[in-house]
Amino acid sequence: MTLGFGQIAFLVIAALTVAAALAMVLARHIFHAILLMIAVFVGVAALYVLLGVSFMAGMQLFIYVGGVSVLAVLAIMVTRGFMGDRPRPARSTHGAAVVAAGVFGGLTWLILQVPWPSEPLVPAPQNDLALLGQTLVSRAGYAVPFELASLLLFVVLLGALYIARER
Amino acid sequence: MVPLSWYLILAAALFSIGLYGLLARRNLVMLLMSLELLLNAVNINLIAFSRYLEEGQVVGRVFALFVYVIAAAETALGLAIMIAVWRTRQTVAVDEIDTLKG
Repeated sequence: MTLGFGQIAFLVIAALTVAAALAMVLARHIFHAILLMIAVFVGVAALYVLLGVSFMAGMQLFIYVGGVSVLAVLAIMVTRGFMGDRPRPARSTHGAAVVAAGVFGGLTWLILQVPWPSEPLVPAPQNDLALLGQTLVSRAGYAVPFELASLLLFVVLLGALYIARER
Repeated sequence: MVPLSWYLILAAALFSIGLYGLLARRNLVMLLMSLELLLNAVNINLIAFSRYLEEGQVVGRVFALFVYVIAAAETALGLAIMIAVWRTRQTVAVDEIDTLKG
């Protein structure tokens, strides 16, 4: 079977993303882990571009690469002196590896049971951001969850300030 | 084009790696980052399903956007709790934070 450009690009991006994720959970230094986490997020954003949803790729870069990572780095800097992480005794790590491998094996087996489509349903939509926006804020769509999400963010940010304040 | 099952298997791999991190690491920051891996895997699934199976191509993205909101909220709260714990206990190792243990 010959691989098209999309398939080769997918395989390269997927390999890099999974390798970065593996290196992240195994990293000794927490700062290295954060850098690898950023690599994973960028890889996922590249996958979104490959899927034809560039808007989600942009959001991924804004929220994760721009926001979450900076937050994590700041938290590390506040708790200075804690850059290392003593690993747990080997036994419990083996247990975690067995559980994770079991979950992966089970999920993969289940996925391969189903005859999934190999083509997207319709060609990648162009400029359908207006539709996405209307779905988010229209009464028939997701207006209530949208407003609840903003309320949630407000409450959470106030709560985070309160929890982390100087006493 | 890339078959849908490839995306699903990649998401399963990311999810399992995140699960491993969640179970094996003891640093609170590592746990939060592993949680982000789990949420990213879910988002890949949502968007891939939306592209390959959904007529309108919108609902999957809306759900993924809500997952983003929850992820940001969870990270902000988690890191705030981490800073507070660090101030009082001088540790962020989850198995040393055991005051409530009976």
